[in-house]
Amino acid sequence: MSSRRSRGTTRITDEQIAELVSKLQQLLPELRNHRSNKASASKVLQETCNYVRSLHKEVDDLSDRLSRLLSTIDDDSPQASIIRSLIN
Amino acid sequence: MNHYVPDFETDEDYLLPDSSSLKRHKKSTMGDDDIMELLWQNGQVVMHNQNQRSVTNKKPETTSSREIRSGNIEDETTPCNLFMQEDEMVSWLHYPTDDNNLDMYLHNNDIIYQGLPSSSASVIIPATSSQPPPPPEAVAVAVPSPRPPIPPSKRVEEEPVQPKFANFLHFSRPNKLNVAGGSGSGNGSGSAPGTVKATPAVTQSTVVESNDRPANEPPQSRASRVTDSNALVSGANVGFRGSLMSSFGAAGASSGGREPETYDLSASSSPGTGGSGASASVEPQKPPTVTEDRKRKGVDIDDTECYSEDAEFEYHNAKKQKHGSTSAKRTRAAEVHNLSERRRRDRINEKMKALQELIPRCNKSDKASMLDEAIEYLKQLQMQVQMMSMGYNMVPMMFPGVQRYMPAMAPMGMGMGMEHVGMNRPMVPYPPVLPGSAMPNHAAAAAHLGQRFPVPRFQMAQMPMMGPTSSQTANPQDPMMNPFPMQNGNQPRGPFADPYQQYIGLPQTHMLQPQNQTGMPAATSKPSSSKDVRNPEHHPTS
Repeated sequence: MSSRRSRGTTRITDEQIAELVSKLQQLLPELRNHRSNKASASKVLQETCNYVRSLHKEVDDLSDRLSRLLSTIDDDSPQASIIRSLIN
Repeated sequence: MNHYVPDFETDEDYLLPDSSSLKRHKKSTMGDDDIMELLWQNGQVVMHNQNQRSVTNKKPETTSSREIRSGNIEDETTPCNLFMQEDEMVSWLHYPTDDNNLDMYLHNNDIIYQGLPSSSASVIIPATSSQPPPPPEAVAVAVPSPRPPIPPSKRVEEEPVQPKFANFLHFSRPNKLNVAGGSGSGNGSGSAPGTVKATPAVTQSTVVESNDRPANEPPQSRASRVTDSNALVSGANVGFRGSLMSSFGAAGASSGGREPETYDLSASSSPGTGGSGASASVEPQKPPTVTEDRKRKGVDIDDTECYSEDAEFEYHNAKKQKHGSTSAKRTRAAEVHNLSERRRRDRINEKMKALQELIPRCNKSDKASMLDEAIEYLKQLQMQVQMMSMGYNMVPMMFPGVQRYMPAMAPMGMGMGMEHVGMNRPMVPYPPVLPGSAMPNHAAAAAHLGQRFPVPRFQMAQMPMMGPTSSQTANPQDPMMNPFPMQNGNQPRGPFADPYQQYIGLPQTHMLQPQNQTGMPAATSKPSSSKDVRNPEHHPTS
């Protein structure tokens, strides 16, 4: 985002913020409703935090499952390498 | 915190090169993070957070700027600075505060303040997103003479101290005041509506900043608010505030008690040219445009929240009507507006901070860039989760037992874009089935996306799908997806990674394009570029 400097302070227009917030809103599964302009910034931010946390949890969960799966298969198999690639 | 002392001295020196004899500084610790130092110089209080010493006193004017900074990140994110007139400081000097009061004051208000860029010769009162600092306090400060210093009560509702502010402007210096005064006096009583009308979403910060704004009331209300939050530094302020607060009562929005005062003051303020203006002009230096931008542009989405508090406004308005003073009513409404606006801003900033903590390696203090990063990170996370879940589901399918999928997947050459990605695993020595139609490798895509955030490199291409039937059309489909579409026989080209494409974005398209198979049969016959190594060996058809 471009921010103009004014008097030594970074000037971020509200429009920029609004645009970012709407972009963010589009990514959120819950708020991606047809009337996308109705969510307030606060709500969007809150939903984003929640969503990020849930995604983190999901990633952890999937990692666990993949590693468990990895232990069950032959390490030389391509599947194993794939799984390893999936696990960060 | 005490170690600041030596620094302080140095600051002192550079802060007031021309300072008069009156120099006194106090140091108080505010909260956990901030150490506020009060520096009296030349009859003015200059307070600055020890972390931000440099900010104070940019100009070696007679008065030093007084800055109150909270240590939070909101400094940058919400550049709402409230500037107090120097005059105000002069008046404050009349009421030296004792440490107790000051500390109390500071502690109470530390959250209110935001770091502000130093304003030259003006008191900066960062009242922005911090919790709604009681505006009246600021105003209280402004009106020093009549009130003895009193320990500041924490937050007074913003209700209006404006009139007091006006009074105090009398003392203020003409230069600064005039600016504000002109605007203030001009609007005097009628200004209230100005702000209110300007933008319902006016944020507190904007109001304060707009010193030039013709609409007084916001300045008045804001000034009071601003000053409240900021001013506190001086003992006089404290005392003043205390008195104001007490007069206004603890009741949050008790307009009743205040109104009379407000009205009285407003009456007096009018004549006091710019008294209110000055108050409003808390930040003479702040470009009005900034605040105006905030006000005008006022995030639309914020409006909804703003309006949710209409009920509150109405309540206040009703009260005002009692007194039959339109301007006062408007002022009150504006104040309430500001208050709610401020609260809203605070909420948002809180959430921004929380989000910032969730995002790894986010070192941006800038709101916009932080949101940018958040968006990017969210996309990456989504992609990552999607890939992992797909992998988790597909791997079981990859076992040799799944015969019918094998051939179908065979074409998914391992070479699929593997070369494009800096794979960290040795490629599985499978025949690269994909003749030339290396499908945009997910791994590659992931790699691109994962530049910042770790995303699992998909080595899907290596899937053991390759089989002797490399001749099959190398459908550059995502191996994971293959099994399903393949059931139809010819591997449907299928939208390669359509689900991914939307996430992958443009940068990856270039990878996809060239890889597109010209035609299945043709593809098979042509050794894939990247798989050349293996083609001759394994590719029966080549």
